Amino acid sequence: MLPFLLTTSQSVSAIETEYALKAGFLFNFARYSEWTVTTPALDKFVLCSPDNSFIEVASTVLSNRKVNHLPIVTRTVSITDTDISQCQVLFITSDTINQWLNASLVPLNNIMIVGETEDFIAQGGQIRFFLSGGKVRFEVSPKKLTSANITMSSKVLRLGRVVEQ
Amino acid sequence: MTLKIVKRLLLGTLLVSPYVIAEEPLSDLDLDLDSLMAMDVQVTSAMKRAQSAFDTASSIYVLTKEQITRSGATSIPEALKMVPGLAVRQLDNNQWAITSRGVASRFSAKLLVMIDGQSFYTPKFAAVYWETLNVPLYDIERIEVIRGQGGLLWGSNASNGVINIITKNSIDTRGVYADVSSGSQINHDANLRYGGDMGNQGSFRVYGHVRDGDESDKGILLEPDDYTEQQSAGARFDFTPNDEWSGLIQGDITQSTLGQNFRGVIDETNRNVPFTDSLDRTDSRIMARVENRISSNANQMLQTSWLKQTGSQTYLQEHFESFDIDYQMNFLYQDLKLDWGLNYRYNDISFAESTFVRSDGGYNTLHQYGALVQGQYSLIADELDIIVGTKVEHNDLTGWENQPLARLVWKPQNNHVLWTSVSKSVRVPSLIEFNDDFTIDGQRVEEVSPITTGIDMIDTYYIRTYLNGNNNVKSEESTSYEFGYRLSQGDWAVDLSVYHTKVSDVLAVEVDANTEQFLPIFALLQQGEIELAMQTLASTSINFDLVSNAELTTNGGDIILTWQPTDTFNAELGYSYNTFDYDLAENTFEAIGYDSTSRQLFAKTDIQLFEDHRLFASLRVENSDAYDTDNYTVLDLTWQWAFHPNWSAAVMGKNLFASSHIEYNNTRETFTLPNYIDESVTFTLTAKF
Repeated sequence: MLPFLLTTSQSVSAIETEYALKAGFLFNFARYSEWTVTTPALDKFVLCSPDNSFIEVASTVLSNRKVNHLPIVTRTVSITDTDISQCQVLFITSDTINQWLNASLVPLNNIMIVGETEDFIAQGGQIRFFLSGGKVRFEVSPKKLTSANITMSSKVLRLGRVVEQ
Repeated sequence: MTLKIVKRLLLGTLLVSPYVIAEEPLSDLDLDLDSLMAMDVQVTSAMKRAQSAFDTASSIYVLTKEQITRSGATSIPEALKMVPGLAVRQLDNNQWAITSRGVASRFSAKLLVMIDGQSFYTPKFAAVYWETLNVPLYDIERIEVIRGQGGLLWGSNASNGVINIITKNSIDTRGVYADVSSGSQINHDANLRYGGDMGNQGSFRVYGHVRDGDESDKGILLEPDDYTEQQSAGARFDFTPNDEWSGLIQGDITQSTLGQNFRGVIDETNRNVPFTDSLDRTDSRIMARVENRISSNANQMLQTSWLKQTGSQTYLQEHFESFDIDYQMNFLYQDLKLDWGLNYRYNDISFAESTFVRSDGGYNTLHQYGALVQGQYSLIADELDIIVGTKVEHNDLTGWENQPLARLVWKPQNNHVLWTSVSKSVRVPSLIEFNDDFTIDGQRVEEVSPITTGIDMIDTYYIRTYLNGNNNVKSEESTSYEFGYRLSQGDWAVDLSVYHTKVSDVLAVEVDANTEQFLPIFALLQQGEIELAMQTLASTSINFDLVSNAELTTNGGDIILTWQPTDTFNAELGYSYNTFDYDLAENTFEAIGYDSTSRQLFAKTDIQLFEDHRLFASLRVENSDAYDTDNYTVLDLTWQWAFHPNWSAAVMGKNLFASSHIEYNNTRETFTLPNYIDESVTFTLTAKF
């Protein structure tokens, strides 16, 4: 009986909390990073994910927030070159990792690509969330960020586990 | 802006309650990186049983890492001085008596102290050796203090409260930290820590600490000798193989040599004699924990730990080891949040016979096992919750004990919380009370004998006197009614709690003068055999027996106001009031504490001056007749200057205003002899890379 309860009970709030925290982290990554090549100049900052349930939470958490004076816009996207090219930050959730792995995309520059599944950095991401003692922490590859024309402040890098591969 | 800041401040209270966070509108989430890193992903979270969700309904105070580092505290007891409502009384430069909602005592604590959930309760004395409890202050995440019975599920002997010291995950302590302090009472105190990653599977830190502390300036009966020589080393490893599993292992070993003034009956005079001695102690601890996220709504945790303490001084040799294993599971099912767990503890105690403590024997090993279950159910979603739970535990001294509780939490609006609670707690006797005999200060013949002889040598003779622990001593049972209210409004926050606790089977001391034993002596005197009468007198004794027949009523409350008008200034004002009223049977007196009232006024402020300077001040007015001391007011003031991105300097003034004062003078308590507490100044240099 008990294991049944555990696997079927899906309180919305539990998942929301995790996504809310991760949305908050993405906001901070954006705040403390510089997109070195931004032509044409941006008029908004676009946070994307193929996962609609994440975008719903993120849009609530990040409503009325700004990154470098630019309003944040959240957008559910398909993993296609056209859709993704509008994004500054792309978050691939564990529910959408297969879409990401199955997509064939042109090399993506100027986009911060963040995931939460194992080996995500080897699979084309630059940052990966993980959990330690029930709290959100992250791995980051500064090299991969640099090759995507993004520089992250050392203030944030210091908090993450730096991985280079 | 300011609202956000108060939120963050309040997080002190809210943080420990993932439930409260989850209930908050997501749009109000504090997006400061530090706050995000401190928050738990799950509503259910292992090791949160006492301080989270269901226990918002208790009088809790969270001492944040910022407060700990900014205060310039150099030890855990010094940091605890900052907690409103805690009685923190310093006996000398290394001994402390700490409790909440009770009369603090060097021994016989009813306060449960834990480091990351590992208990430091010693069943022999019920004492916490604060002077050898080493936790690197710079690597503490927070200290949670529950006043009163809010932490019952953590275990028995927590009727006055729980202090849980939570250390940082080593992923957050990578790099080098070093500090060195010196001052009027510390010759040197130095800390060094190094932390780093272990591949991409985990992280670690190792640290060392040395302390060489001075004596106080002035003693009561003897020259102070309360120096400290201490060396510690420890490490913590955190493993995160994947998001479902994580683990940690940590350990610490601390070697201390402490000078202390004692008093005890060590010769034929049968009187307490003050003497100076040094205490050598080695305290080791190790613990391991595995946490598993079963689903987004369920967690389980297994923790095991080992504690070893040896102490050696001229009249006391003690050795104590304990092994704990603890399993917990927390899950959420619709409107029900359920926590349950099992625990087992093995204690091994050996204690050499000494001139003044003798054991009746038979209790060198003690087993303890139990279970806890607690459910929280939403009667009205997001508004009214009911919490019911119990902890059932078996111990070798008093058998099965049951600690049930029921609470209600009502949140009429987002910024108001009202809670109420009824709980029963148990305080199991220590071995000293249950099984040991203590030789205590002798009683004069004229004080105890029905007739005096007129012969000075006889009448003023001090008869050997024993305080006898015995197995008729029962567990003390307290029933507590608590009520609390919290409000957060703009820059302000209020946290109020009041309580009424009735304790039965309270430990008292019954005097058995055994007057019949004097009859042969009077007979000898009548025959003119004074010599022989004296010899017979030397073989008499008086017994003070510990009995469980007193009642204690305590009433009181705490109120704390927090104000943070700007990003660079915050202030806290607190007031605590506690009364203790004993109801004693005839021919008995109190074993611990006596009828008394303690009041505490508390003010604390943290100000950032310019870019790199910070001033932290805390003022305490201690007004109490529970410790046989004068009332006193102390100011602790710390100024910090971050003169370089990696370097900072600080100067701390402690016990300012109060000048030389006594904080604890309950001399009835055998074995302790306090000194005057002095003003002191300390300089610290800190480096972080």
